[in-house]
Amino acid sequence: AKDFRLGTIVPAGHFWSKYATAMGEAIKEQSGGAHTVTVFPSGQLGDESQMVQQLQSGALDMAFLTIADVSNRIPAFGALYAPFLVDNVGDGAKLLKGETAQKLLEELPGKMGVLGMGYGIAAMRQMLSTTPIETSADLAGKKMRITPFKPFRDLYNIIGIAPTPMPLPDVYDALANGQVDAIDVDLELIMNFRFDQRAKHLLLTNHAMFPMVGLVSGRVWAELSEEDRKLVGDNMAKALDDLLAEYGRLEPELVSQVKATGIEVKEVGPEFFPGVVEKWEETWKDQKPLIDRLRAEAAAM
Amino acid sequence: MIVSIGFTVLLLAGVPIALVLAMTAMIYIVVSGNTILFQSMPQQLYGGLEKYGLLAIPLFMLVGELMNEGGITRRLIAFAGVFVGSLRGGLAYINLVANLLMAAIIGSANAQIAVMGHVMVPEMVRRGYNREFATAVTAAGGLMSPIIPPSMLFVIYGVLAQISIGDMFLAGIIPGILMGIAFISVVAIMGFFYAYPREERKSRRAALSDILGALPSLTIPVVIIGGIAGGIATPTESAALAAVAALAVGAIFHREFHISHVPQILIRLVTNSSMVLFLVAAANVFGWIIVYERIPQMLAVTMQQMTSDPFVFMLMLNLLLLGVGMIIDGIAALILIVPILLPIATSSYGISPFHFGVVVCLNLVIGLLTPPVGTALFVAANVSGCKPTAIMKPLTPFLLASLLILMLITWEPRLVTVILSQ
Amino acid sequence: MLFLTRASKILAKAELTAAGILSVAVTALILLNVITRTLGESLFWVDEAAISAMVWMAFLGASASLHYGTSVSVTLLPDALSTGIAKVLGKLVDIAVLVFACIFLWLTFKWFDPIGLAKADFSFQKFSASTYNFIYSETTTTLGIPKFWLWLVMPVFAINSTIHSLANVLAGKPVETPVSTLANPD
Ligand code: NA
Ligand code: NA
Repeated sequence: AKDFRLGTIVPAGHFWSKYATAMGEAIKEQSGGAHTVTVFPSGQLGDESQMVQQLQSGALDMAFLTIADVSNRIPAFGALYAPFLVDNVGDGAKLLKGETAQKLLEELPGKMGVLGMGYGIAAMRQMLSTTPIETSADLAGKKMRITPFKPFRDLYNIIGIAPTPMPLPDVYDALANGQVDAIDVDLELIMNFRFDQRAKHLLLTNHAMFPMVGLVSGRVWAELSEEDRKLVGDNMAKALDDLLAEYGRLEPELVSQVKATGIEVKEVGPEFFPGVVEKWEETWKDQKPLIDRLRAEAAAM
Repeated sequence: MIVSIGFTVLLLAGVPIALVLAMTAMIYIVVSGNTILFQSMPQQLYGGLEKYGLLAIPLFMLVGELMNEGGITRRLIAFAGVFVGSLRGGLAYINLVANLLMAAIIGSANAQIAVMGHVMVPEMVRRGYNREFATAVTAAGGLMSPIIPPSMLFVIYGVLAQISIGDMFLAGIIPGILMGIAFISVVAIMGFFYAYPREERKSRRAALSDILGALPSLTIPVVIIGGIAGGIATPTESAALAAVAALAVGAIFHREFHISHVPQILIRLVTNSSMVLFLVAAANVFGWIIVYERIPQMLAVTMQQMTSDPFVFMLMLNLLLLGVGMIIDGIAALILIVPILLPIATSSYGISPFHFGVVVCLNLVIGLLTPPVGTALFVAANVSGCKPTAIMKPLTPFLLASLLILMLITWEPRLVTVILSQ
Repeated sequence: MLFLTRASKILAKAELTAAGILSVAVTALILLNVITRTLGESLFWVDEAAISAMVWMAFLGASASLHYGTSVSVTLLPDALSTGIAKVLGKLVDIAVLVFACIFLWLTFKWFDPIGLAKADFSFQKFSASTYNFIYSETTTTLGIPKFWLWLVMPVFAINSTIHSLANVLAGKPVETPVSTLANPD
């Protein structure tokens, strides 16, 4: 009997936490109560980099992590953040279940000491601004809060934005008084933090997907019986699959919720940012073959 | 069991509190058999400090140091004297109003009591006030320091609770002002029983010169609170800007700050801020073990069996904290309490983390003055030359007033949350 | 023993000096952040640099505080005891601190695992593949240097704490204090 610990950075009410809990219940039921899973939300056991370290030592059994931290360690994962790779969450989910993305998971044990059971996802990334944005030139020189990791930083450097790192809880105030002018964000976060009250101009870009990866500690895995591995692996894979489907359903709902707030919503595509995708791929030329394969898979959808 | 015995023994023996926390975590790891956790321990200790908000701690300490060396304290007191000096008991009111102004610059009760005690107590004694009473007023006035922004306690709470430190600062404004009003009322009421000395009215000319003299100093709270509330700067940045302002005021306007003060300032700064930061780091290890062992979850179940009413929960919390505050002080107590009780307060009782934070901090601030362990009480006694026990009697009405404010804020969360933007 | 006392003293001074310089660096970096952001030229690495400087400052200062005896502790019991017994208790506390320092030294030694690294011919990749210890492959988010350079403060802290606490146990605590007791923060 084992009580697994699963860590994640998002709060308890977030879908990632909910599906982690659901996975725990399934594991408990199918093991006849022998195995349980406790979910530690809100980064209670540390930030993502600390959770990775605990996965590596075996102190933490499982985690649902954004691939931000993973891509800092294994740059190839950054390719999944390529700008305008997919148009919507549904295509993102298909791409993540595709051959190329799944093959990436095989790098995890050797390079990070963890096993990837599959991908989850959050809503597509958008740009929310306090001032109207007519052309991409209007974005140049703006101060934008972004998640500080390389793929996004490169994108905004190319657009000419001054990226400003800042903890998420501070963003609401910062938008109110000009500490930042814009934020790279998804629709779920806009509604949860009510950023719409402070920034009234949304560029519905869908410029990047935001994958999550379900991990199991390599050390813990090594100690599991064949049967328990199957139990854990199957249930985590199922929870992640359900999560992908959930976001697919959620996306149109989020769009109408945001539109109902009355803020200006402008739907734009890659043509709004001339030359940006090419320059980004130039910066990421080390991963070019990988990005090409991903784009080919996406185009075939 | 072994763990709590180990904790108590180490704590009472006088082991530095930060090390008590780290060692207790070690004992827990050994007892629970999860020795694998040892491997994460150094990284957890380091990670406890990797928080942007914590930068505010050394910076606000620097502001206090620079302010002190630059002649700002004296001018703020003179400024307060212009408005309340001519009342009967004038110096007692000046003391409190000056403390209110100082609280908008300094983030720690002990630091503020030390500074104000040096200046105000001898002055009040010279004008015929009883030394114990003068010390009690100064000590009470200092309690506003960690409630009115900036506040070291609020910075650490914001980091522990993962909420906006800027909002936490704003949340303290109304409770802090209420404390000021309560203390001023205490002085007024005590005036019915004791004949305070009367002050002479200042000449217009002197009053004008006091106002003008204090203007540069008054830019410092404006930089801090204005910078945060106006959204020009993060609390951390506002502290850095305030340090520049304090340096400029002391060196350029007052010409009292001298470059030769720098080494001593830096040594005090480093010693004091590393003391607090190391405590935060050790608390991160301790809190991590507590969460890892699911102690808050278990405690939450017990609490919920006792009551489902948030107000009753908060009352129980107050009782617990007043007890804790007798033995452990301020930041150290905050660090022990928050990781365990905040998750229960927010998820089981739906209490706003800002409300919870202000109530907990106010409670622990009162604990700074309660015996047997009250660092602020000792600082006040040390600075004024009174015995701690002798201060307790005149201090009691002020402590009762603080408790009254505490009850008021416990009962009405809006006193805390109404000022927040969300 | 005299040597140990002197070493502890010199070390504490060096720690405070380095920490003082770092505290100035923290202030300067935050101001740099304000200025560059106002000019619309935010520098991405400044936050992480400031935080790292603060962490180093804190651990150097914390280690020095073992020498100067300036840490916060509950003195209720020692104050109530007679001088003789309080002295014995004080020695026991010093020994407890030394035990902590030694354990922590061992933990950081296991974490940095210099022997394992040597066995892997100082190849970081070989090291993490063979030990599952990824300390050398982690990079900082914005500074662009390997993270272990920053984490080095932990072994530094462990070694220095061991020296200070060993000196305290063997030769007694020094009476010197670098600070006035006035600005005790809380
Ligand atoms: Na204050
Ligand atoms: Na107390």
